[in-house]
Amino acid sequence: MAKTDEVIRVPFLMKMEYRYALGAYASRFFQELKDHGRLFGIRCPECERVYIPPRPVCGICFVETGEWVPVSDEGVLVGATVVRLPFIDPMTGERRPVPYGMGIIRLDGASTAMYHFVDETDDAKLKVGRRVKARIRANRKGNMRDIECFELVD
Amino acid sequence: MSANSNSVDPIVEQKIQIPYSYVAGPAVSRFLTGLKDCVFYASECDACGRKTVPPLSFCGRCWKPIREFVTVGPRGVVESFASMPGGETPGVVYALVRLRGADTCLPHLLDLVPGQKAQIGAEVEPVWNEEREGSVLDIRSFRLRQAG
Amino acid sequence: MPQKVAIIGTGQTKHAAKRTDVNIRELVNEAVTRALIDAEVQLDEIDAIMIGNMEPFEGFMFPEHWAVEGWGGYLKPSVKFNTGGTVGTTTIAASYYYIAAGIYDTVLAIGFEKQSDGHTQTAITTVGDPVWERTMMAGAVGNFALMASTFIAEGGVTDEHAAKVAVKARHNGARNVNAHLQMPDLKVEDVMKSELLSWPVRKLDMCPQSDGAVAVVLTADHLAKKRCARPAWIRAVTTAHEQQYMGDSPKRLAVMRSQTAASRRLYKMVGITNPRKELDVAEIYEVASWAELAMYQNLGFCEPGEAGKLIDEGVTLMGGELPVNPSGGVLCTNPIGATAMIRVAEAALQVMGKAGEHQVPNVKTALATGYGGNAWTDAMILSASF
Repeated sequence: MAKTDEVIRVPFLMKMEYRYALGAYASRFFQELKDHGRLFGIRCPECERVYIPPRPVCGICFVETGEWVPVSDEGVLVGATVVRLPFIDPMTGERRPVPYGMGIIRLDGASTAMYHFVDETDDAKLKVGRRVKARIRANRKGNMRDIECFELVD
Repeated sequence: MSANSNSVDPIVEQKIQIPYSYVAGPAVSRFLTGLKDCVFYASECDACGRKTVPPLSFCGRCWKPIREFVTVGPRGVVESFASMPGGETPGVVYALVRLRGADTCLPHLLDLVPGQKAQIGAEVEPVWNEEREGSVLDIRSFRLRQAG
Repeated sequence: MPQKVAIIGTGQTKHAAKRTDVNIRELVNEAVTRALIDAEVQLDEIDAIMIGNMEPFEGFMFPEHWAVEGWGGYLKPSVKFNTGGTVGTTTIAASYYYIAAGIYDTVLAIGFEKQSDGHTQTAITTVGDPVWERTMMAGAVGNFALMASTFIAEGGVTDEHAAKVAVKARHNGARNVNAHLQMPDLKVEDVMKSELLSWPVRKLDMCPQSDGAVAVVLTADHLAKKRCARPAWIRAVTTAHEQQYMGDSPKRLAVMRSQTAASRRLYKMVGITNPRKELDVAEIYEVASWAELAMYQNLGFCEPGEAGKLIDEGVTLMGGELPVNPSGGVLCTNPIGATAMIRVAEAALQVMGKAGEHQVPNVKTALATGYGGNAWTDAMILSASF
């Protein structure tokens, strides 16, 4: 191999625009959230799991879900962490501001849990088992950010 | 549950942006560095003799490392093209250019002046940028050579 | 009857944080060349090429293009796989199925990733569901931190147990010439004092981001016996998938449903009833120290809640009853599209007796696993006889 002194790197910023369809189930969830600030799950008629996010089929029983059931805006942290690592957010192409608290939250009345921000960056306080409550925005657009975040409750 | 006339947007739009930085490797670095001097380097396999642009450090057919570089071009012929009439810069054509002496084609742009038409087999030459930094964009485009 | 399948050669790059001296095609070429030499196989004896890679890391959607000039793929049948972290084991599984089915006799499997060309945590964040998860998700580190927090809440594991796993990996890796991280002098307190990335995961609890490639030559039994004095036979392969969302599976790490299901099915296929006694070595996909602890119980090496005890007693150390990741594992080397295949290659090296400085004596049966996507598991058993 003939030598070249230079190691050349070729920079490239990939920008890809996507349009994700919510589908009927997420649309209904966000409609209810937007209109009334309420949260709903959907129940499997066989195993009776209440799923959030709502979905047409229970993957475990492989039967159609059907019954929408209200769930609480309060729940429990089943996973919790304060994110400190610096990384580029693919949603913006910029560094995501850190630290921020996040959790896997199981709402009362739901069987599954969901990711969301938790308004706490103290590692000693943000712990599995703590109770949390959704801070729902007054001005809602019908998306996941209508829940601004969760906050720890005593 | 009540439906409201003020329906949620059924679409979530996202613009995903991820920066990359590709290591060119020795053969391609040689090629890119050559562009600074307005020179095209091809790799030449000493087994099959194939001259490849952009160059390879390994011949996948003979399964041998490639050690030879030769200069090719700067003139070439259009082997294939696709015009982009609705593009941002009308008159610019995407073309595969086989540089003189090379066995493979370099994808690049063909800049046509009004009245010119892209044609397979047309002779072309590179138009170089004044400032060159070792990038395929150091070649602003290729242009048709006038007949005769 | 399916054809029996054996691994007769492997090749790896010297894994590193940044290979600025080669492009992706050249990087992978190194591993392929070494695998062909190791297997003593000529390119024209390879019937097909299976390629594993996770495209968002390089932002290049058809990496199989490079196979033609760099990896011996010119005019050969070739398939590309992407199943996330499991891709390396999925690619081996596919190669195995092709040969077992009698479609091909000899297959070259390739796994690679050049993490330094892109941004690892950024690309992993795109794995999150766009509507429900992506906004909050913080790469693999954030996911593993959340999972580890759940695991810790179950009790029985401490920061110190995790740090011991991290030290074991780095000490093992220091005996593996191909391992990326070489940290023979690492101490438990170094891990526990390292930078907190996302509680409870510290920098040294987490795998590195590596540039690297691996290639494996698999062949049918009638050729394997002629080509290789001691091939590594693939006795059984299985894979298990999980539900879609990150919060669907309760106790996602402590009770990893896909891993429990896959490993139990695998053991049944080969008649293993006590994996800790019957396996001689395991090469598992432990992205974080905490994950390895959880995997001890998920894979049936110990009872739930006893993973900490297992590392305290040295069961999984070199020289222990069941050494886990003598290669240094993912905690030393993580080029993601290659990582699960490196587990298989390392398990094969152990069975073939070719692992050099990190060889476990007299390996007859080895376990290799892949983990990735949304808590998916691949698992396979390699053995010295069939």
